[in-house]
Amino acid sequence: MAGQLSGKTGTTTMARRRRMAQLKVIIAFSIIPLFLLILFTYYPFAEMVKFSFYKMRYTGARTFVGFQNYIDLFHRKDIVGSLKLCLYYMAGAVIQVILALYLATILSMKVKAANLWKGLIFFPYLISGIAIGFIFKFFYTRGFVLDTVLQAFGIPLESLPYWLKDKSINNWSLVYSSVWRYLGQNMILFIGAIMSVDGTLYEAAALDGASQFQIFRHVILPNIKTIVTLNIILSITGSLSAFEPPYVITNGNNGTGTFFVVMNKVAHTDQKVGLASAMAVFLLIIIILCTIVQKLLFAYVFRDATTDETTNRKKKHVKEAA
Amino acid sequence: MKFKKALAIGLTAMMAVSMAACGGSVSSTSGSDAGTDSATADSTASDSSSSDSGDITYASVKLGETGTDLSVDLKLLTNRTDMLKDDYNGTTWAQYLEAFNKDYPNIKVDIEGLTNYADDSLLRLQGGDWGDIMMIPAVAKTDLSTYFLSYGSTDEVAKEVNYTNNWQYQGQTYGVPITANACGIVYNKKIFEQAGITELPTTPDEFIADLQKIKDNTDAIPLYTNYAAGWTLGAWDDYITGSATGDADWQNNGLVHGKNPFADPGDGTHAYNVYKILYEAVNKGLTEDDYSTTDWESSKGMMNSGEVATMVLGSWAVSQMQAAGDNPDDVAYMPFPITVNGEQYASAGPDYNFGISATTDADHQLASMIFVKWMTEKSGFSYNEGGLSNAAGATKMPALYDAFSKVTFVTNTPAPEGEEDYMNELNADSELNISNGGNDKVAAIVEAASDGSQTFDDIMNDWNEKWSAAQESVGIAVN
Repeated sequence: MAGQLSGKTGTTTMARRRRMAQLKVIIAFSIIPLFLLILFTYYPFAEMVKFSFYKMRYTGARTFVGFQNYIDLFHRKDIVGSLKLCLYYMAGAVIQVILALYLATILSMKVKAANLWKGLIFFPYLISGIAIGFIFKFFYTRGFVLDTVLQAFGIPLESLPYWLKDKSINNWSLVYSSVWRYLGQNMILFIGAIMSVDGTLYEAAALDGASQFQIFRHVILPNIKTIVTLNIILSITGSLSAFEPPYVITNGNNGTGTFFVVMNKVAHTDQKVGLASAMAVFLLIIIILCTIVQKLLFAYVFRDATTDETTNRKKKHVKEAA
Repeated sequence: MKFKKALAIGLTAMMAVSMAACGGSVSSTSGSDAGTDSATADSTASDSSSSDSGDITYASVKLGETGTDLSVDLKLLTNRTDMLKDDYNGTTWAQYLEAFNKDYPNIKVDIEGLTNYADDSLLRLQGGDWGDIMMIPAVAKTDLSTYFLSYGSTDEVAKEVNYTNNWQYQGQTYGVPITANACGIVYNKKIFEQAGITELPTTPDEFIADLQKIKDNTDAIPLYTNYAAGWTLGAWDDYITGSATGDADWQNNGLVHGKNPFADPGDGTHAYNVYKILYEAVNKGLTEDDYSTTDWESSKGMMNSGEVATMVLGSWAVSQMQAAGDNPDDVAYMPFPITVNGEQYASAGPDYNFGISATTDADHQLASMIFVKWMTEKSGFSYNEGGLSNAAGATKMPALYDAFSKVTFVTNTPAPEGEEDYMNELNADSELNISNGGNDKVAAIVEAASDGSQTFDDIMNDWNEKWSAAQESVGIAVN
């Protein structure tokens, strides 16, 4: 052992050295993913933002037009109109999350053949979106699957609507296919979260004589609020960028062209790359805004839940102490 | 998984066919940017190498004399994957090769089919090692010489081959069409008889009246729009040039430089009246009940069995419809019902073109040239597939064109020098995308006609406005 003084300097140099080594390791490990991230995500994104200020096609000359693309975006009926369609998908997303939460709660209680039900409900998520599109196209075809089933219940074909032709309901038809597909995935996420809830909480609640609904309201919900928030944010942003159902089932025709479908057409068929980039940037801004609003909203909604949770815990502590 | 795969194959096969649809004006203009972008970069580098081997020309090859001593293995890339299967109900590739090897036993051809041809072939072309002969995909004309061997000067080749106008650049021809298609209407003969139609319609009004007769007298759907497939609606664009005007130059003049090309000329011709047929048919309930759930694959069988009376598609569709059921003889083809000054016309254009690799050695190139010439002149491919003859001077027309005896075939002339990109720019700017995947605008006609939300004149005025705005923005002189 060296003297006190030299020992101190020794540790500081060693600490510095260790920090240097640490830094080297951190850099070494993160440089490749960071490089890839920048190369394939941020750089293309920056390029896209740049494109949004140009009038350009994939090939040929580019002209700088400033904010003209963004101005055009608001003057085009098809683009503004397509944004309204998001409301259908948002409504669908809300129904989907509620339904998934409901099913997850039921299935995490004592249910016969729970795994079978889980499997059956999750199954649609495993099918590719394109195939689902085709399934639903035949499902909605006049006189095919859905109509036959409804006829079996005694509803005459004449009184049934044209599921994809009738502009008042065709968007709901498409939303349904999307809910059908993602319901199981949401449910599985919820079940996972519910299973991780501390079992003693249920016992405690049962001892207190809580009803199933009270257990859900005061035990399950506060404990899985992170995953609920996540699921809702994912569903809402997902509904803003709905693409597969309208693209595959209706080609986005007949008043079903969502923002993404219109963007795809503008970018690829019309080759207005600048305008399409502006649309993408605009959508990003909307999604960020939506996420912020939701965050604030949930902070407000779960304000009580958090207090409940802490009081619950306090109660528990009190009980344990007693 | 199997279902998915079958779907994917079905889809891509369908798309490949649709790209080569009647008119064929699509192939050279449609923007396949992956191909053109990177291609321009290296085009200058290998320019010289290809022109060196210009001594092998299409005209200099004499079948049965030239190259009989050649012993070469060739590789061919094709979109016709169906012909690779033994159960193909026509002449298969294997049968063509067998016949070819009788003349040239030492030239072996290995054929590879690509189901998603339009896209995959471009990737293979970029990759380099794709073989000796391929169907020319959508490459920029400036890059033709980088990839493909010239068949000789434009005039020389045109003496021996028809419909070579798609792949010409600077006086050289780089593509020989495998066959050619015409634009008309697929119809079911039996239903026409049942409906009491004795003479084929020659004007839009007659056609609509006949559709009404079919609706009144038979159970068939008079006109099947195939709305849901999309590209089947875009196919209507192919009828507005030669078929509706009789003018081979209309696309370059009337459309590109014309003032309000979608206006009503008042004599039942031109673009206005082509789309009007669709609007009227839908508006009068002469199409299928629910257009939004039509299905392309099953529509073929419906045409065959007489559930559908007419479909507006290129001649390539006929053989598929005939093969789709037990009544091949009922499926027939008729000219588009538009008469210009007492004459009927039909747009005609090449299908995919054979291109020969510019990078292989002279022996392979000569053998490839021999094979292409053999396919054109001796194989009978065009006739077997129900196409118009690609070999100049061949007079034998498939029975398919029986109703076309008085019809003049019109092939769009290529855009004049310096204006090659006008059509592309106008299409992009106006978003109408004529013959370039602009299915949505035709779909909008069907929708408007169905619920009466917009009159036909309003739609055409709207198109005219968009087109005029695009002409102004691109800076094109309007006559």
